[in-house]
Amino acid sequence: MRFERIGREPDYSRYMDLKEGWLDRRIFSDADIYEEELYRIFARSWLFVAHESQIPKAGDFLTTHMGEDAVIVARQADGSIRVMLNSCPHRGNKVCFADAGNTRRFVCNYHGWAFDTAGDLKGMHEEYCYDNGDIDFKNHGLKNVAKVSSYKGLVFATFNGDAPSLEAWLGDFRWYLDMILDNEEGGTEFIGGCIKSVMSANWKFGVENFIGDAYHAGWTHDSGCRSMNDGMPFPPIDMEYSYHASVNGHGWEFGTEGVGDLVLLGRPKVMDYYNKIRPKMAERLGEMRSKIFGSVASASIFPNVSFLPGISTFRQWQPKGPMQFELKTWVIVNKNMPDDIKEEVTKGVMQTFGPGGTFEMDDGENWENCTTVNRGVVTRHERLHYRCGIGRQIEHDTLPGIVYRGQYNDANQRGFYQRWLDMMTHDEFGKMPTRPEPRLGNVAETRDLPGLFAL
Amino acid sequence: MLDRPLSPPPVEVIVAVTQALHCEARLLDNEDFDGWLAMLNEDICYRMELKSRRFRADRSPPLPVGPGVIFNEDLGRLKLRVDRLKSGFVWAEDPPNFIRRAISNVEVVARPAENEVRVHSVLIMHRNRIDGTTRVLTAARTDLWRGEGQAWLLAGRDIVLDHSVLPDSNLNAFF
Ligand code: FES
Ligand SMILES: [Fe+2]
Repeated sequence: MRFERIGREPDYSRYMDLKEGWLDRRIFSDADIYEEELYRIFARSWLFVAHESQIPKAGDFLTTHMGEDAVIVARQADGSIRVMLNSCPHRGNKVCFADAGNTRRFVCNYHGWAFDTAGDLKGMHEEYCYDNGDIDFKNHGLKNVAKVSSYKGLVFATFNGDAPSLEAWLGDFRWYLDMILDNEEGGTEFIGGCIKSVMSANWKFGVENFIGDAYHAGWTHDSGCRSMNDGMPFPPIDMEYSYHASVNGHGWEFGTEGVGDLVLLGRPKVMDYYNKIRPKMAERLGEMRSKIFGSVASASIFPNVSFLPGISTFRQWQPKGPMQFELKTWVIVNKNMPDDIKEEVTKGVMQTFGPGGTFEMDDGENWENCTTVNRGVVTRHERLHYRCGIGRQIEHDTLPGIVYRGQYNDANQRGFYQRWLDMMTHDEFGKMPTRPEPRLGNVAETRDLPGLFAL
Repeated sequence: MLDRPLSPPPVEVIVAVTQALHCEARLLDNEDFDGWLAMLNEDICYRMELKSRRFRADRSPPLPVGPGVIFNEDLGRLKLRVDRLKSGFVWAEDPPNFIRRAISNVEVVARPAENEVRVHSVLIMHRNRIDGTTRVLTAARTDLWRGEGQAWLLAGRDIVLDHSVLPDSNLNAFF
């Protein structure tokens, strides 16, 4: 399915030169470019919509957005998950105003059209007013998205019937994702609720911060780090054994020291827990990944999900116009953790990366002001510098993806904007380049891959 | 909430506790954080939750750790936050934000222990940030105040923000 937009078709490649390492500021505030992002990126990508644990039982639902389109995500009686537009086919009213819950029916407030949790129209108030032939119930349900799929607990949906499989979309990035989703038997769950806040910033600033910007931490979060660590600033980064890895616009930046993010979380019991399971983790995921987990690290899944493995904050940047996004944050834990460790993780996340967290508080205003100050008609034509570490690409025997040496780098950010450009300029998914060529192939289960550990 | 015993606490207590609330707000507005810490009891529990929107007839069980805990702090953690604010490295607060707190709807309720009262109040926080934008937050607070010697000290505070979506990028302030 294609959603066409009538209007100008500019050449987006003039907004960046990633070989040189610069971006045009207009991609962070221009209304036309933003509209085009909604069509070309959000209406065509696989988008995160839920963690399976948020809707465990039949009738459980939550409401969220795919781009600016409001959707309902609902668990069916057969255990499957449906994702449908949260908009009534009668006059378009929003059908469900609750954030989450459990229900048998969604009933529209306007004229009482009633839908089951699959979105099928089941009846309405004063049904007799429709004569035979006036309405075909089958074609007037809540519009379901084209595809729903999940990867180790994360549920994704897409409006794009031509989208590749979710496995192919995530590609080799699954090798990295498994470090947070599959580091222990039983997988993960979201715990507690969702915290939402709104920021006057372009959504891409949040994504690019988490995809690769380890560089900002030591300066932006100086006060937070010192208050958490007896006045000590961030320790220096090991530029030799830390990396950026980019796959199809997804990205993970990380060290290999194994403890940095766990220290920042500030909950010693959680550190002990992971140290205890680390040998098992090494059996499960291999030596390399068991060393990466817990290190200073951050990651984003293209286009708009981010998380801190080890610190356990999981988030989504929902676009709300060129200069605004809604940030949704959750806490992700291993399902098999004892309850007191889950509680410790939750406390740690709120104290560091909740909206009142000692680190989180420093970030938002930077992104807001990176966005709003670019309104100036002269300012907006100036370029931004994205060249850090541009010559440090390496081939690595173990690490998949486009790998750069040194955690302080703009490499993953460049990879993200490369994918952005690929999607903005390619009409057909099939013609879009895969960056880099995958090592894993498109199999569904990464853990059972023959030879995975030898990669 | 059936939190209204037949006889209210003595008028001196009501006056003293109400004055303490106003004093607390003034200290925070003036960034006198040490003065504020001195008004807190050793075993203070300071919590804030964000509400989520649910249908009135929702059948699903409550979430295990609450819908969205933003603060869950003891005195040590509050001191740590104050240290951070005083560190000189909080770039987003330099130049300072202008924050003004208005406290209202104060209701002082007697407790079985004579030296304790439950206090309901409403907070309106007006925050003018360094980039010139203004945000207004409102919250309901349920406190436990304890008379210790000559002073009333804050021993517990439950803050419920009246927002399902936080209208600001951070909560860089005490409530
Ligand atoms: S708009 Fe939904 S029933 Fe009329
Ligand atoms: Fe940050």
